[in-house]
Amino acid sequence: MPIHSLPPDLLLPFAGIEVSTLPQQLVDGLLLGFIYALIALGYTMVYGVLKLINFAHGEVFMIGAYCALFTSWALGYTPGNALASGQWWMLLVMLVASMVGCGLLGVTIERFAYRPLRNQPRIASLITAIGLSLLLQYGGQIFLPLNQNIDSKINPAAGGYTVSLGGGSAVDTEALKATVKTKQAAFEDFLTRTKADRFNLNDEGKRLRNDAQEAERELKTAADRGKGTTLVVPYGKLIAMVATIFLMVGLTYLVMYTKRGRAMRAVSHDFDAASLMGISVNSIITFTFLIGSVMAGAGAMMVATFYAGTKIDPYFGMVLGVKAFVAAVLGGIGNIPGAVLGGLLMGITEGIVSWLGFTAYKDAVAFIVLIGVLLLRPGGLLGSAKVEKV
Amino acid sequence: MNGSNFWLVRIGSILLAVAGAFVINAAAGGNDFTQRLVLLAALYVTLAVSLNLINGITGQFSMGHAAFYMVGAYTAAIATLFNPGVASAHPLPWLLAMMVAGSIAAGLAGLLVGVPSLRLRGDYLAIVTLGFGEIVRIVAQNVKFGDKGGSYGFSVDTKVTAVWLAWLLAFTAIALCRNLLSTARGLTFLAVREDETASLAMGVNVTQTKVTAFVIGSALAGAAGAMLAHFEGFVSSAMFTMDVSFIIVTMVVLGGTGSITGAVVAALLLFLLPEKMRDLPSMPIGGVGAFFIVLALVVAGLRYVSQTFHGAVKERALRYVGVVVIGLVTAAILGFVLNQLPAVKAAPLVEGAKLRMVVFAVTLIVLMLLRPQGIFGHHEFSWDWLRSRLKPKSAEVTPV
Repeated sequence: MPIHSLPPDLLLPFAGIEVSTLPQQLVDGLLLGFIYALIALGYTMVYGVLKLINFAHGEVFMIGAYCALFTSWALGYTPGNALASGQWWMLLVMLVASMVGCGLLGVTIERFAYRPLRNQPRIASLITAIGLSLLLQYGGQIFLPLNQNIDSKINPAAGGYTVSLGGGSAVDTEALKATVKTKQAAFEDFLTRTKADRFNLNDEGKRLRNDAQEAERELKTAADRGKGTTLVVPYGKLIAMVATIFLMVGLTYLVMYTKRGRAMRAVSHDFDAASLMGISVNSIITFTFLIGSVMAGAGAMMVATFYAGTKIDPYFGMVLGVKAFVAAVLGGIGNIPGAVLGGLLMGITEGIVSWLGFTAYKDAVAFIVLIGVLLLRPGGLLGSAKVEKV
Repeated sequence: MNGSNFWLVRIGSILLAVAGAFVINAAAGGNDFTQRLVLLAALYVTLAVSLNLINGITGQFSMGHAAFYMVGAYTAAIATLFNPGVASAHPLPWLLAMMVAGSIAAGLAGLLVGVPSLRLRGDYLAIVTLGFGEIVRIVAQNVKFGDKGGSYGFSVDTKVTAVWLAWLLAFTAIALCRNLLSTARGLTFLAVREDETASLAMGVNVTQTKVTAFVIGSALAGAAGAMLAHFEGFVSSAMFTMDVSFIIVTMVVLGGTGSITGAVVAALLLFLLPEKMRDLPSMPIGGVGAFFIVLALVVAGLRYVSQTFHGAVKERALRYVGVVVIGLVTAAILGFVLNQLPAVKAAPLVEGAKLRMVVFAVTLIVLMLLRPQGIFGHHEFSWDWLRSRLKPKSAEVTPV
């Protein structure tokens, strides 16, 4: 359903770069950015109160995905078990299960691994965090099922929202088709002539093969361009985005407008002064871990359910965790709107990098942006760098 | 100490180090597996000691040490790729040249990273170095010369196994750090760690000191990397992931931040522990589960004793032993009970190889919880300390 049409020449290739794939990449990046933001909130909140980089947060996220997986199994969606499309309440049950599971894990980690070390140098907690992250990853390999995915049928809103952006223009593919045919014929002819092994070619053979492949690729690009540009947004990802926004608004309300939120801000400002004001520092820190982990759980459930082809394994949290962490630092670690901004920026940057064809460098670009920002604004985008005084 | 004595000690220790390296070489024997363990142990000692100079002695928290290790390894690999003739004609001199080249390249990389990023403090520096490590790794993953390189890495055709040289490198690193600390220049490193502002006020060039430490540390890691490339005969970006950086940082912290002895001991411990556990037998899953549950309780018990009991050392030790014994008995009972459950009984055995990294992680957490300042704290091993320990305690009372 073409609900919106852009002028056709806007999406034609520009300076050799395919413009028509940009909108899709940007939208995908933005949607992924919300997930990053959700995980980044956990990093940022814990850093805000404890000044600790919680390296185990990515693994909490991983456990959340497993909670969602097990719940989906409990609801009957076991592998190889063909069922009809799921119900909305099932998604809600999965979401709650993974939020509860993550919340419990986060609180347990804080109580038994970080609290005993709170009066020690922070580096001790950091190493413990690394140890926990390794423990959950490798322990998961022993005790958890590997390489699973949640049956996509449990999502009642299959399919997606298709927007036609127009931009289709009649391209003459006949000439290109002819070129492909001649090039392929030349290659086949070479093979029969020299009786060469297809998998072990000499230089001439390689050149002919590459020519043929090149022509095929050109034909495909031209054909795609003729179809015009469409933008597909799966409903699942939209749900994830809406839920994320909902959670973030809730969190902002909690931190900014409730008594408990004020206590959290006080603890993050000054431990000792807060405890003198009658705030129970321990319970506030536990609460912070709880909230951060619950957010990670929500993110994990949504990634595992709505992002098709997500494989859940014990290393699942590592990559997303590192990226979310980068997002938190980018926005200014300890700063809640900063985490959201950082997450969205990370997502969009990744979209643009993939669009430019540097998918292999995607992760490196995230770090390059981060280092650039830190060198120019040492506190992150929205953070304030504290000047140390004597 | 007079002049002649000074040189005697100096030359004596150099000779001792060389002799020690060859003794280790002989002890490693001709067995491939032992040689590998002994050589890699030396490389890890070098890495830990060099990172200790940055993290422990100068107090700049770097988490991307694997990057410099990698720069050294890739420098050697690429230079060998372009000069195969020279390399295969003179393997040992070539290796030496490559170690120098690798350390120069890594030192330059250290300078490049250090100058801008050492303005940042604490966690931010950690994050930037971590990011730098990832950037270098991802770039290396995509570097290609012709059809070589990329994610499959490079093969290094000149393989050299020189255990003695690896240990000589480790000894050099140790001596460098130790002797640095007895010079006025070295003391500025400690001053920067203790208080940046105060040392600035005392006329220490803080930035220069930080960058110097960073460059020396990176250069040592680069030399170790070149050695690794020629030992393995192969380099790839997968050998230098974030995990490697984490493990090196862990070695430094576990040994006791700033203690060279600690770095050496922790490097040997953390490298050999998982390697030795490769041949762990397969175990029933119930036993493994019971062991970890009980371990958590034992750690809690030990912490409880150390925090609440303030009596004599002997009685305290007795209580520690008691906690451990009770723990072991409980583990045995719990494991037996768990194994009676049908679901647990049916589960397949846990492979020892899978278990080893779990044991590694648990050791890390337990050691940190029980001894957060690291094995050695800020202390170093010294003969005087050993002598005072070995001497029987005399119970003489000074008459008033």
